[in-house]
Amino acid sequence: MNTCCIPNDTRVEAPAETPAIKPRYFVDGTQDAYEVRVEVPGVAKDGISVDLDQNILTVRAKRKASVPEGWKTLHRELNDLDYLLRLKLNSQVDESKLTATLENGVLSLCLPVREAAKPRRVEVR
Amino acid sequence: MKLIPRSNHPTHLSRVTDFDDWFRNPFAALPSFGRFFELPGYFTGAASLRLAADIHEDNEHYYARFEVPGVKKEDVKVELNNNILTVCADRKEKTAESESSYTLSRSVSVPEGVNGETISAKLEDGVLTVTLPKAEHRKPRTIQVG
Repeated sequence: MNTCCIPNDTRVEAPAETPAIKPRYFVDGTQDAYEVRVEVPGVAKDGISVDLDQNILTVRAKRKASVPEGWKTLHRELNDLDYLLRLKLNSQVDESKLTATLENGVLSLCLPVREAAKPRRVEVR
Repeated sequence: MKLIPRSNHPTHLSRVTDFDDWFRNPFAALPSFGRFFELPGYFTGAASLRLAADIHEDNEHYYARFEVPGVKKEDVKVELNNNILTVCADRKEKTAESESSYTLSRSVSVPEGVNGETISAKLEDGVLTVTLPKAEHRKPRTIQVG
């Protein structure tokens, strides 16, 4: 069970103002489900969208690294960012059972594989 | 505010730093987290591997923000020693087959006159904000014209 990245996807989709950045991510697959973890530090829950279309999983996350009023910036490395990750799933997954949780800046997605797509063992008689 | 000699730091891993960067930002005396991952063989593939830091101030406080995705509250250590603020974060990565953990750390130099007793830190959405109260004599003062 593999996933692969669509080449050059970030460049095609990037809006003009803020470039989309591919987040660091991990994929862990068992026979029953894909577990995808995407690192999106500084992104609030409502800044994330997850879409699944024709076996292509798209995760978009918008980070607002805003500075509270009255703060003077001395040094800056955390910027406003658009994260974009597109993964092609090689197995059919059950869209209705897709779950996503955000914890400590890491988005965890669980994508259960459809029953029909699971490997089946045939008994030889 | 001064530069920290890089050789004094235990996590001195990368051989090359951006020299211009180093001069431009007094706080960037140490390579950013991200540079550690630029070493060949480390997590290649993703474009954004930066675990960056921000420094801000207002009249009462200095604020340092660190990017620490996937790190739990109890796995973060914040330490102020001789005007150097060090944040260490333990990350644990679990997959079905293996489990690994590693420590990321970053140090920034903070100006003299920080009240070390009352430093506080907050973790939210993978970003750690450390609040360092300025000592009384460091706060801006308005002088009345008599």
